[in-house]
Amino acid sequence: MTRAWAFLSRRRAGSNWDWTDIVTFVWLGAGLFIVFGPALWLVLSSLKSPAQLSEFPPTLMPYEARSVIVAGYENPLPLYKVTDDAGTRTLAEVRRVGTVAQMVDPADPGTIQKINIANRTPERDIGFSWSNYTDPFLKFDFLNYTKNSVFVTTMATLITLLTNSMAAFALSKYEFRGRGFVIVLIVATLMIPLSVILVPLYSIISGVGLINSLWGVILPTVATPTGVFLLRQYMLTIPYELLEAARMDHASEWQIYWRIVLPLTAPALAVLAIFSVVWRWNDFLWPLIVLSRQEVYTLQVGLNAYAGELNVQWHYLLAMTVMTMVPVVLVFIFLQRFITAGIAGSGLK
Amino acid sequence: MGRIALHNIRKAYGAVEVLKGIDLSINEGELVVFVGPSGCGKSTLLRMISGLDRPTGGTIEIDGQDVTRRSAADRGLAMVFQSYALYPHMTVWQNMAFGLQNTRMPKAEIAERIADAARLLEIEPLLDRRPGQLSGGQRQRVAIGRAIVRRPTAFLLDEPLSNLDAELRVSMRAELTALHSRLGATMIHVTHDQVEAMTMADRIVVLRAGRVEQVDTPLNLYNVPNNLFVAGFIGAPGMNLWPATPETKGSFLLEGGTKLELPHLDLAGPVTFGLRPQHLRLDENGPLTAKVTLVEALGAESVVHAELEGGVRLLAVLPGQPDLALRSQIRFAFDPAALHVFDAQGQRVKTG
Amino acid sequence: MKPLASILGAVIAAPLGWIAGLAEAPLRLWQRLTGKGGMIAFFLLPNMAIFGVFVLFPLIINIVYSTTSGSALFLSDRDFVGLGQYERLLRCDDYTNTLTCQEDQFWTAVKNTAVFVVVQVGLLISIATATALILNREIMGRSFWRAMFFFPVLLSPVVVGLIWRWILDRNGALNAALVGVGLDPVNWLLERGWAFAATIGITIWAHLGFYALILLAGLQAIPRDLYEAAEMDGTPPGRVFWRITLPLLMPNLLVVIVLSLIRAVQVFDEAYVLTGGGPGTATLYLTQYIYEVGFASLLKNPGLASAASILMGGVLIVLTLVQLGLSNRNEKKGKQK
Repeated sequence: MTRAWAFLSRRRAGSNWDWTDIVTFVWLGAGLFIVFGPALWLVLSSLKSPAQLSEFPPTLMPYEARSVIVAGYENPLPLYKVTDDAGTRTLAEVRRVGTVAQMVDPADPGTIQKINIANRTPERDIGFSWSNYTDPFLKFDFLNYTKNSVFVTTMATLITLLTNSMAAFALSKYEFRGRGFVIVLIVATLMIPLSVILVPLYSIISGVGLINSLWGVILPTVATPTGVFLLRQYMLTIPYELLEAARMDHASEWQIYWRIVLPLTAPALAVLAIFSVVWRWNDFLWPLIVLSRQEVYTLQVGLNAYAGELNVQWHYLLAMTVMTMVPVVLVFIFLQRFITAGIAGSGLK
Repeated sequence: MGRIALHNIRKAYGAVEVLKGIDLSINEGELVVFVGPSGCGKSTLLRMISGLDRPTGGTIEIDGQDVTRRSAADRGLAMVFQSYALYPHMTVWQNMAFGLQNTRMPKAEIAERIADAARLLEIEPLLDRRPGQLSGGQRQRVAIGRAIVRRPTAFLLDEPLSNLDAELRVSMRAELTALHSRLGATMIHVTHDQVEAMTMADRIVVLRAGRVEQVDTPLNLYNVPNNLFVAGFIGAPGMNLWPATPETKGSFLLEGGTKLELPHLDLAGPVTFGLRPQHLRLDENGPLTAKVTLVEALGAESVVHAELEGGVRLLAVLPGQPDLALRSQIRFAFDPAALHVFDAQGQRVKTG
Repeated sequence: MKPLASILGAVIAAPLGWIAGLAEAPLRLWQRLTGKGGMIAFFLLPNMAIFGVFVLFPLIINIVYSTTSGSALFLSDRDFVGLGQYERLLRCDDYTNTLTCQEDQFWTAVKNTAVFVVVQVGLLISIATATALILNREIMGRSFWRAMFFFPVLLSPVVVGLIWRWILDRNGALNAALVGVGLDPVNWLLERGWAFAATIGITIWAHLGFYALILLAGLQAIPRDLYEAAEMDGTPPGRVFWRITLPLLMPNLLVVIVLSLIRAVQVFDEAYVLTGGGPGTATLYLTQYIYEVGFASLLKNPGLASAASILMGGVLIVLTLVQLGLSNRNEKKGKQK
């Protein structure tokens, strides 16, 4: 945080402060809070116990009740700080009846004291409910969802890279009849979103027997016009002489594609790969339609299903949300400069 | 109006000092050219004067007033940028009017000023066009026109001719000079081209590595360079520079082994002799013997590349078309008065 | 930047290359048999086949679909009804009152989406432009700030929806903050107006960085010396913005407006997870309507959903054409003057 403020306050040497600097300062400060605040709040909340989540107003940090083993009692007893006529002291709760709690002093386990619950506050330390994270793997299908999501993301990205780069190669390095038509077709469909063809697409997927199959999720997404378009634009910058030199060296067309053009297209392939991973990981509407059986759910569909339950178990839901976020956050941390440069350059959506 | 004085101007970007204390005074109505190799700080100096950048130290005065802390707009200067910086979405007329509208000048006066400038620069038919539809030379005129309409106390021109092709550059050079004499305003012109500097300037400021090497009229710079750098920088082709050591009084040994008898010189310690190629002439009894390596015959004159003893290079510009065989030995003579002498520190040595 | 890109690309290209090596011999034979034409077909086929089957073909049969009725999935089992589905969607007794429409849900969705599009795109573009202007200043750590605004763009819509559902919960952080400063808590997601505003707010939150980056690239393409020329002329900042920055940013701004309009019309994921279309139908948008009529509701009506999606597609195409026409006219005007 302090480093961020230092960023803000340093300015071009020699200029004076004016109102635009104050606007900048406020805007970036507010941005920092609004962008990272909610994500941070999610992470902090996901480490709280169910009891703590239902508190209002909520505490910032996750806490755990401090408890103590008292002679004569089987289970550890929660500790409270009690303040009343008899002074301030720390007692352990045995049981609670209405607004009155029966409490004992750990040092004197024999005597039960009756305390009004208005006069006490729980003793607690910062503590994390890691079980929010472990339980979904052990008790629910979360592991399965993750596997499905990884499968969809990997396969879709690999197929996207291969088929798109092949098509882009043909469309950028060969002259043939109908090439202009194909390119126009691709550019035109850049503007046609999936949500316009949901119904007929579903019937086609159903016709080829891919309902409730991960391939039914993968296939409609891999022929992205965006990918072909991006790769073609990049391949157009590769000089034609290189291909002719390779032909003089008896390279086949296929070798020209994968030994010469593909390696030179690496930067564009990397951009497409990153975006494909993020897109496919985040896909929601189409998987929601195609996948109706729990064992084939992807993470996004699974999360939505949990969130839609009548009695939402927020402690699990928040932890699962954080875990769904993790791969994307990793991508963000390691590749942020690359992505922001790539997006400014190519205008990918 | 239009006197500019710089006192000890310094500019540092972090630890890198770009300008190392520049003192300079520019007279009213003068056309001063800043010249120097790239990175010498000439553009930076111009930006200090313009107010687009602030110096780290020193003061700038315009007409006796300290303007160091004043914003660019309040200095009454106009700048012509290297890339012209014409607003691409505005017509030529709008480009010229834009700055005047900022000062809430009456519309009639704006129109009048633009009409005057357009007539002067012969760009009247272009007023409704946009910069994208103009040729390089036309854009150049518009950029100058945008400066003229503001009636500034001085014009600042940052390499304005460098984006033009060679032919156009020569004609624009002449036009700019003519424009200067017509307007009579102070102009500061930055260039890395010493020919441009020689042909245009009233006075030239030669800069190197953030320092002023010499300030003088073009011919003085050519005839009496203050130091080795100016000697080598001004004049084309460049001056012959031969390091030498005195042997006995009036006798010198050039690097490479050539002996030179110069009885009028009495110097101690190593020196460098400078001789313009134009001051060499063929003479069978001349003191310099050289082997011809290349002859560039230009018709009216010939540039002869040759080697003295020990491979030391010699360049001579000879009138007409002398018949010189490659690898033949020829001898040169020169007028000792034309010889420039520099000491070990590279400073000019007065030779009487 | 460059080396990182190359390394990444190489890592991805290497395994692909290995597989490609295996295909070398058979493909050489194929090339010998069919010549260059055969190879072009080979390169195009996989992508075009998938594209044709899963994008182009559905696009075409969607029109046929919208003229049929019934709950059967396959076209051959469906009854032809002509423009019946469109009539059902569009018929209203009184067009000022959506309740009198035959498909009042559709009209509610259309109305909601229209308001959403206008407000969301307007706010989004204004805020994105302001952010881009600020990121274009000489600030320390610009790449950090640039990346920061981009962070939410990478999050999945479901995650975005859940994060904000948690914050806007009745017992959530926002209400805690309100109570903290002495205000009454608000039931954000159960009050119609607030829920609607929330869907606008979170979609702006999620997409802002993307548009800000495109606009920033546009700002950085404006030559610096234009600003210096303006500075020499003493141009006030407001005039610099309106007369120099904005006109020169216009091409990028148009692109950004088209993209954000097209996306706003299709709004679904974030809003659906946040509110599920509620309370009531306050945040029911077109895509959700199509999804529910076509797939989720008990009385599925694929023909009706298909007709609605074609109407939406039509709007998208019109929007695109209008914007393309606008930018073309701008260009021509620029050349004439």
